[in-house]
Amino acid sequence: MQDNDTAGAEDGTSRPDGRAANPLILKLESLAPLSADDRAVLERISAKPHLVPAGTDLIGEGDKPDGVYLVLDGIACRYKLRASGARQIMAYLVPGDYCDLDVAMLKAMDHSIGTLSACHVVRISLDVIQALLRDHPGITHALRLATLVDEATLREWLVNVGRRSAEERIAHLMCELLLRLRAVGRTAGDGYALPITQEDLADTTGLTSVHVNRTLGSLKQRGLIALSGRQLRILDLAGLETLAEFKPNYLHLGGRDAA
Amino acid sequence: MSLQLQPVQVATGSEDQESQLVFHEGFLVAILVRLSDLHETDAGKWFLEAGFGRVTDISGPTFADIDEAQAWICARLGSSGT
Repeated sequence: MQDNDTAGAEDGTSRPDGRAANPLILKLESLAPLSADDRAVLERISAKPHLVPAGTDLIGEGDKPDGVYLVLDGIACRYKLRASGARQIMAYLVPGDYCDLDVAMLKAMDHSIGTLSACHVVRISLDVIQALLRDHPGITHALRLATLVDEATLREWLVNVGRRSAEERIAHLMCELLLRLRAVGRTAGDGYALPITQEDLADTTGLTSVHVNRTLGSLKQRGLIALSGRQLRILDLAGLETLAEFKPNYLHLGGRDAA
Repeated sequence: MSLQLQPVQVATGSEDQESQLVFHEGFLVAILVRLSDLHETDAGKWFLEAGFGRVTDISGPTFADIDEAQAWICARLGSSGT
């Protein structure tokens, strides 16, 4: 059966008006409590997203940072290109994720940020960010926690490419995305839209496309996942977590301070 | 430059099994695996499963046929780079 469940429909994060709740607010609230005023400000700054096609740079290596990019829908990534064209993806920006609050301190980007799928993106001006940090300590606290989580996630991805097998790498990524997307209401049960190509997965996990294809085939054959179109369903979450030795501690979900 | 091929089966953990060991002057320099139908549009191509010494390439190149693969390996072996 085609698994085309609408993301966000089953996790209690849809609003009465039918729109999915703001993923930035959901993400920050998964890390720290926010006041009604905080939520209103965050709604306001993310109110007018624009649609960016897949495969588009939001900001390129060498560019002067001109704002903070917030992803409200779709998946973007941080990446670097070698002269040969080989690409390494170092992070995914899923709904609610944004890049580098303090990016204005840099003269030029040392990596690129681009969309993997079509994305709804908001560019928040640096002035607005400064005002947010100055006037909203609750938001500032949550944003700082989110920065710690980003760094912890990067460490985990380093372990992935350095010390995990092909199956473990992909299994780990799938377990991580389930929790990250669930926190922002973009899962349906143990499934979610994964609107990226096998090449993207290869460049994320440091594998070849051939190995990614074989690995996905093996995970399916073992009954751990089903992948239909761009929709992933985790059939045996405990099994996938065991395979990946997945420990979600680095995501610091649940509103407790990161330690 | 001549290469010697030896057909083998490689346990890739997938349907990709038909393979060739590639020797140069008695040394194993590469293992090529023919991609199965699992790979859809790439099915039938030859994949550099492993390369040794100058034939190492982490990008995992694929080749339309075995001749193209051999030409690529020869170019690698003939180059003065590392």
